[in-house]
Amino acid sequence: MPAASAIKVMVVDDQTSMRAMIRRTLQDLGFKDVRDKAGAAEALAAIKTDRVHLVISDYNMPDMDGLQFLEAVRADPVIGKTVFIMLTGSADREVVQKAAALGVNNYVVKPFAPAALKEKIERVFGELS
Amino acid sequence: MRRIPIVQGEHKVIAEPGVVISTLLGSCVAVCLQDPIARVGGMNHFLLAEPADHGVPHEERQRYGIHAMELLINAMMTHGALRGRLRAHLYGGANLIAGLGRIGSDNAAFARQFMATEGIEIGRCELEGTHARKVEFMPYEGRVRSTLIKQAPPLHIPEWFGRTDGDVELF
Repeated sequence: MPAASAIKVMVVDDQTSMRAMIRRTLQDLGFKDVRDKAGAAEALAAIKTDRVHLVISDYNMPDMDGLQFLEAVRADPVIGKTVFIMLTGSADREVVQKAAALGVNNYVVKPFAPAALKEKIERVFGELS
Repeated sequence: MRRIPIVQGEHKVIAEPGVVISTLLGSCVAVCLQDPIARVGGMNHFLLAEPADHGVPHEERQRYGIHAMELLINAMMTHGALRGRLRAHLYGGANLIAGLGRIGSDNAAFARQFMATEGIEIGRCELEGTHARKVEFMPYEGRVRSTLIKQAPPLHIPEWFGRTDGDVELF
């Protein structure tokens, strides 16, 4: 049973309010090391130099979207196996299918309750303590 | 002139001239966003779930507003708007019925705080008060008009009403 406090997380979303809300949700679930970035390119650079265990990324972002970000992570020999959870809108079925093909570990549809996010994380990591 | 009415939970983005997006507001809030360079505009109409005194935590209620705003902003950007150029006009958030708490004020406070957090400039701001409003927005032209109306918009009765012994909740 992994401890949430031992899992390093990177949250990526171009909306400040959404990043803050996800960060608070994760902290309420027991995560201690939560970083966040407003863009995928800067998040990619950050996790290459300081690795994390889990990336939670929005899909709809300017410059580099969530799929491009996922593809870049998976293509990297060092961080390629990082757990990646995508945040999508309810109408993004095609996005989820593309993300699955690119190797996403799970996805969460917005707006989501804390329990939903916890469940998706636990499906990958196992029950959190 | 083409008119597009929206109701609670909806949003619409337009990038062509001669279109009016309209809505009727009580305690709900409508945010009109425009990028004057891309000539794209949009409006949403949202309510922060149930009021806090019905047991829904403040944090939980924020999710609905944040999500509503994200949908509108994403749709604006899909139509060519840039986040840094967005300007917002805020309407609604009235406290229509005495004794029902300050649901409207909560919605208004959320809208103001969201714009501050996201760094979106506020243009016109007609929030709170005790009257319903009709808002008409021409998204391409960037013109907006708000009219106070004496008669409140039709009541929204939540799906759950009638299934429990809970109090009636008026929106």
